[in-house]
Amino acid sequence: MNPRDVADEDPDRLYTVTGGRSRADGHGLDLVTLIVSESAPAAGSQSEHVRILRICRDPTSVVELSSELALPVSVVKILLTDLIDTGRASARHPSSAGDPLPDTEFLRKVLVGLRKL
Amino acid sequence: MSQQSPARPPDRHRSGARAVLTALAAAVCAGGLWALVTAALTAEARVAVGAAAAATTVLLAGAVYVAVRRSADLAAAEDDAHRAWAELHRAGGRLDAAREELALLVDHTLPAAVTRLREGATAETVLAEVEHPADAAHHRVLRTLVHEIAFGERRRAAATAACANAAGRVQALSTRTLADLRTMEDRCSDDMLGDLLRIDHSTAQTGRTADSIAVLTGARSGRRWTKPITMESVIRGAMGRIGAYQRVRVHSSSANAVAGYAAEDVMHALAELMDNATRFSAPSEEVHIYVEDLHNGAVITIEDGGLGMKPQALARAEAAVSDTQPLDMAMLSGTRLGLAVVGCLARKHRLHVFFRPSSRGGIGVVLRIPNHLITPVREEPFPEPVRRPAPVPAADPAPPGPGAHADQSELPKRPRGATLRAASAPLAPKETRAAVPRPDAGSRFGAFQQSRSRIGDPGGPPAAPPAAADDAT
Repeated sequence: MNPRDVADEDPDRLYTVTGGRSRADGHGLDLVTLIVSESAPAAGSQSEHVRILRICRDPTSVVELSSELALPVSVVKILLTDLIDTGRASARHPSSAGDPLPDTEFLRKVLVGLRKL
Repeated sequence: MSQQSPARPPDRHRSGARAVLTALAAAVCAGGLWALVTAALTAEARVAVGAAAAATTVLLAGAVYVAVRRSADLAAAEDDAHRAWAELHRAGGRLDAAREELALLVDHTLPAAVTRLREGATAETVLAEVEHPADAAHHRVLRTLVHEIAFGERRRAAATAACANAAGRVQALSTRTLADLRTMEDRCSDDMLGDLLRIDHSTAQTGRTADSIAVLTGARSGRRWTKPITMESVIRGAMGRIGAYQRVRVHSSSANAVAGYAAEDVMHALAELMDNATRFSAPSEEVHIYVEDLHNGAVITIEDGGLGMKPQALARAEAAVSDTQPLDMAMLSGTRLGLAVVGCLARKHRLHVFFRPSSRGGIGVVLRIPNHLITPVREEPFPEPVRRPAPVPAADPAPPGPGAHADQSELPKRPRGATLRAASAPLAPKETRAAVPRPDAGSRFGAFQQSRSRIGDPGGPPAAPPAAADDAT
């Protein structure tokens, strides 16, 4: 076990962040789904929602949000479900992107570059 | 009286001897007179008169003896009476003195001794300090009472210390378990999360119970926060420690935070008040929490739709949370500890707790956190949300092993468990990317790279369609 730094901890338990839910239903969110905020954060809303909406002014993946908010991906998905259900954010699935596939040669370069890291 | 009895026999003896001498003297005088009278008589008369004279002389002697004895007895009796009277006076005086001494003992000496014992002084110390009564019986009473009270105090202190110690251990265990659970929640699968959250919830409630016992026994709350805790986190931290947190609705737009050293206690007090509100209202009713920032602090109102409290119960509750009356352990009912805990915490941090009827039908509890515990929240800068300016502490929160930087020719090693933290490391490149306007697909590719490294599959070509070859690195 790699215990978290006690000084960094917050008193909020995750079930209070999600309101007792432990599973995100619908929307088929996965790690690389891009989230874009559709509205500015409203006053008085949950701080995680506010942060997500601010971060997602640029499209941001679920996994990036998870690391930004320091919350498990499952919890971020639940929070995103709330936002998407109320129309404050929208999800863009990778498969929906109409961009052409990149050059194979370039991908190979990337792979080599990655291996050199 | 008793000391006179030994003086009596010689006295009587002396008076008896005096009586005999007096009687003899009277007999001699009478005998002499009669002898003169008899000498003047004729021989015939002399016999009769001599007999009569002898008889009267003997009678006189007897009478004188009896009279002298009686008068001596009378004098002795008078003396006795005088002495008895004086003795009575002295006894009365002693009785008054004893009564005064007893009053002094009961009204001053004993209370002072009990106060000193409650402060922790030993029986011997207290007995050396207090004024001792002169009366032996009173002294024994004082000694016995002081020893008994000291014994009771020692027993109470030992029981309290044992409770505080046990509570402290449970606190430490639950804090540790909660930290471990949070780590596990970070890396568990979606299916496991629900189970972990349930254990987390139970552990948090265990921690609250231990905190309550610790507070009542005079120990400290579970932990200290080293930073101010935002009002939202304080409320959620409190909610997380009660069973029916899902019935709690929070209405807050507070921009304040509670100072770290007091945050735990405020949370604990709020948790106890919320627990009361959810327990004493119907399971279908919601409990509403309103947070307001006022000029003299933050006010948190907890309103339930329960049955309310009878005047007697309300008076007891108000006494329990009053900031003037200290906690009286003897008043604890054994089952309802919540308000006593709130009272302890309120007195510690000068929180103000009021009860009033709620517009929802039940009770509204108002908790005011005074200004000295409130700090405004430092608004996080969000000019360009993703490209935060200080990625360095996030990039390397746990220093890797010494070998990681020792030899630059080797491949970098990724320490186990640092994957999640490392996910924020690409923030550094983001800084450089920030200058160049970048198409949407580039960021998508960045996200994709991170997700691949998270899943733990460093090799393999990307499956999703990445794009924008020119600025992908």
